[in-house]
Amino acid sequence: MIRSGLFGPVRRLALVETSPLRRADPRTKLVLSLCASLAVMLPLEQLAVFMVVWAGFLLWARLLPAAARQVWRIRWLLIVLGAVDWLVIGPSLAVIVTLRLILLSGVLTLFVGTTTPEELRLALESLHVPYRYAFSLSLAFQSVGLLEEEWQAIREAQRARGALPPGPLNLRYALARVRDLVAITVPAIVLTTRRAWAMTEAAYARGFDAPHRRPYRRLAMTWLDWLLLAGAIVVSAAWVLWRRIVLFAVL
Amino acid sequence: MADSCVRADQVSFRYPQDGHGLNAVSLDIRAGEAVLLAGPSGCGKSTLARCLVGLIPHLYRGRLTGEVWLSELNTAQTPLWRLTERAGLVFQNPASQMLTTSCEQEIILGLENLGLPPAEIRERLGEALARFGLKPLRMRSPQTLSGGEQQRLALAAVMARRPSVLVLDEPLSMLDSTASIELVTHLAELVRSGTTVVICEHRHERLRSLPGLRTVHLDPAARADAEGQEAGQAALPTAPCSPFVLEVSGLGVTLGGRPVLQELSFVVPGGRILAIVGRNGVGKTTMLRALVGLQPHVGTVTVDGKRPDLSLVFQNPDLQLFNATVREEILYRIHGPDMRRYAWLIEMLGLRPYEATPPLLLSEGEKKRVALATALMRGPRHGVLLDEPSLGQDAAHKARLVRIARALADAGQLVVMTTHDLSLAAQADRMVLLGSEGIVADGSPAMLLNDPGPWARAGLAVPAWVRPSLGEMAQ
Repeated sequence: MIRSGLFGPVRRLALVETSPLRRADPRTKLVLSLCASLAVMLPLEQLAVFMVVWAGFLLWARLLPAAARQVWRIRWLLIVLGAVDWLVIGPSLAVIVTLRLILLSGVLTLFVGTTTPEELRLALESLHVPYRYAFSLSLAFQSVGLLEEEWQAIREAQRARGALPPGPLNLRYALARVRDLVAITVPAIVLTTRRAWAMTEAAYARGFDAPHRRPYRRLAMTWLDWLLLAGAIVVSAAWVLWRRIVLFAVL
Repeated sequence: MADSCVRADQVSFRYPQDGHGLNAVSLDIRAGEAVLLAGPSGCGKSTLARCLVGLIPHLYRGRLTGEVWLSELNTAQTPLWRLTERAGLVFQNPASQMLTTSCEQEIILGLENLGLPPAEIRERLGEALARFGLKPLRMRSPQTLSGGEQQRLALAAVMARRPSVLVLDEPLSMLDSTASIELVTHLAELVRSGTTVVICEHRHERLRSLPGLRTVHLDPAARADAEGQEAGQAALPTAPCSPFVLEVSGLGVTLGGRPVLQELSFVVPGGRILAIVGRNGVGKTTMLRALVGLQPHVGTVTVDGKRPDLSLVFQNPDLQLFNATVREEILYRIHGPDMRRYAWLIEMLGLRPYEATPPLLLSEGEKKRVALATALMRGPRHGVLLDEPSLGQDAAHKARLVRIARALADAGQLVVMTTHDLSLAAQADRMVLLGSEGIVADGSPAMLLNDPGPWARAGLAVPAWVRPSLGEMAQ
């Protein structure tokens, strides 16, 4: 989605409001994400089967288009890693590494696309993570998009000052652009650090460290959550049993 | 003193990075009193605000002398959370104090930290949203709001906590005239109901209606700029620009599916100062971004059929400053810089004492002036676009800003500024009043400011404090 802001259009993974998982408890989504992430340890054949099940689940959750977009965004990483693995080890490693990255990208979509930072904070708090850590983690979760925003804003500011103009396709110009990009790395870090500090200050100014904090909203599990958790347990158990059966057959 | 609500005894502070900060100051503020902290840009007003609520020394390293008391609590010896229950601070830059992903959540966060029951949080939330006109924005992400809307949200989030001492750092700087009047009215109510209000603000005239307002002048800190420097009296050393006309035709911008600007058309020749005014969130910044080519848009922006060469000074100067020193910043990527122009700029903008200082360590007003210098040093062919140029500027620097704009216009360049500061806008050659449906009125400031009709249509008020500016202009 194109998110508009003071600094202009910024691409970031938006909430998929139409997803049924949007209504699910964030703790359930944490468990689902964890279970799905563990599938990266599966061997190729099982991983391939799991990917089919996973794609079906994302389809049901109306997250498949968002997951596909996320994969498209990391296409160069997939291509480069896949090519290197293929050349160095062989095609099977290339395929399994690619599938693992696609799976993790889908897990990211599942969680980030259906959970707000506030929901993550509530989930962590209800799992007895101390508030200061839960709050900091949720702020970091929220700030992932801000990093991109800062980067974009600085590039825009440089353009506004006449740097990085569109130019000819030659080595000298390409090197100048690389130099510009390196030059904005330091301010991007400085700006991000300053923003983090400003947020810390703003949080403390609103009583962040108060010992008697009381959450406005409380999480409550619904039948959908129990159903999803049961599904996760069934799928995990099936895989464990399958591995045992395969192991038994081999022995 | 028995009824002291806030007391500072010879308080001074020096930041460790470059030793600047606050010179020794003593204050004694009674409960229910309104106090204006005045002083030139960079004199330490924001530092004193942080001292009063306890952020200094709890969060800042540096050399603090003297003591600050919030009633019976010594700020250095009391936990910060206890201090922030008594005293709330609204920071100068609202964009940097947004902590959540919805306006509603932003207000709730501070109320949760007070340990209030959900019913009371709900009540205070509704009240804050209504009072600051945030109901339609309730579920919007704070990061997508305009500067003025963010300012209102920041105020709502702190005021919903109902602190007995409210410290505001330039609260009016990003608010439109209507929102400014509403805020001052609300502050007056708070003062009457016993809340102590301390305000750092350059726009003194807007606060006249606060009951019993007392002004405390802060001494310039050691590094505060040399006001007496009158270099820069000479004209801007630049070659005169050949005459041109900027044509804007059918300009439209849609953000997140929401039309922000629609079918805007106007023509403005070089050699003019054009002020664009309008309510918060009406699309002023978006318009400047579109004019300079940073914002995808429909319609055309041309000079002689080509895209104009303009520089934009952003509302938030932090975004434009990357270099290690002010000097490097101003000369960044300029080949064969005109050092006469450089000298003129740093004198005119009061930046001479900070040439070797990292720009990001400067005060907000100083950073804004560095950003302006960077834009002017580049010497764009057709002119500059200034987004809220008077933010953080005291009267002297605002006057210099007007002189610079006039010097550019005299050299044939175009100066376009968006501002909520109507006394600044009144000094332009032409004023465009922007409403949610497009241009509401377009004409000379004297004509527009004396006709309440268009302002009412744009949802804005022309406050009484603008009238003296009109008088000055007539002279």
